[in-house]
Amino acid sequence: MEKDFRKSVAALDEVFAFLDGEFARHAPDPATSYALTLAVEEFFTNFVKYNPESDRDVTVGVRLEGDALLVYLVARDVNAFDVTATGPVDVSLSLEERKPGGLGIHLSRHMLDDVRYDYADRRSTIMLVKRLRQ
Amino acid sequence: MFTITQREDGEIVLTGRFDASRVAEADAVLDRVTTTSRVDMKNLDYISSLGLGILLKTQKRLKTSGNELILTNMNKLIRDVFRIARFDTIFRIEEE
Repeated sequence: MEKDFRKSVAALDEVFAFLDGEFARHAPDPATSYALTLAVEEFFTNFVKYNPESDRDVTVGVRLEGDALLVYLVARDVNAFDVTATGPVDVSLSLEERKPGGLGIHLSRHMLDDVRYDYADRRSTIMLVKRLRQ
Repeated sequence: MFTITQREDGEIVLTGRFDASRVAEADAVLDRVTTTSRVDMKNLDYISSLGLGILLKTQKRLKTSGNELILTNMNKLIRDVFRIARFDTIFRIEEE
């Protein structure tokens, strides 16, 4: 199932309500729900921050594929930003040296099994993959 | 639903879902903190990178004056997030 959301941080409550409903249907473990929710928030807010030139809705969808739960986000009429090509964040730095930037992508990479990016016809698609443990 | 309150004894209580849409609300409370303070996370269900960023900013500011945030009663899922972000090395985390 998928749904369109206003490209605004204010739409996050609606995005979470949609995800909660989908997760209730697919019943992943709490850690899987948490990881996917966190990643969706990260990439949804990235679409809001880095693509102000387009006010088109962002599509969020959830589907089960084999033993994996897939969540995808689609933003239209945007410039490319390959989230899988960003460098690693050095989380070993001291408090004084630490910066919050990039932390969401770092967490998403570590908490999910795969993060994929595709760009075509000014459309960015991010696919989040989390395998369901038996 | 997210709430952040500071009790009379100075303890800060976080509840619900601390996401990007709650940053201003959290900032308004944490910006007023000037001394070492405990943060009760017993009823906090979720925190994202934006929430972590606000805690990091506050910890940096407090540490310059020898103070800090002490995080308590974190659930396992949130503790895992702190571990992956290595925030468990820059915050004192206590169970009660």
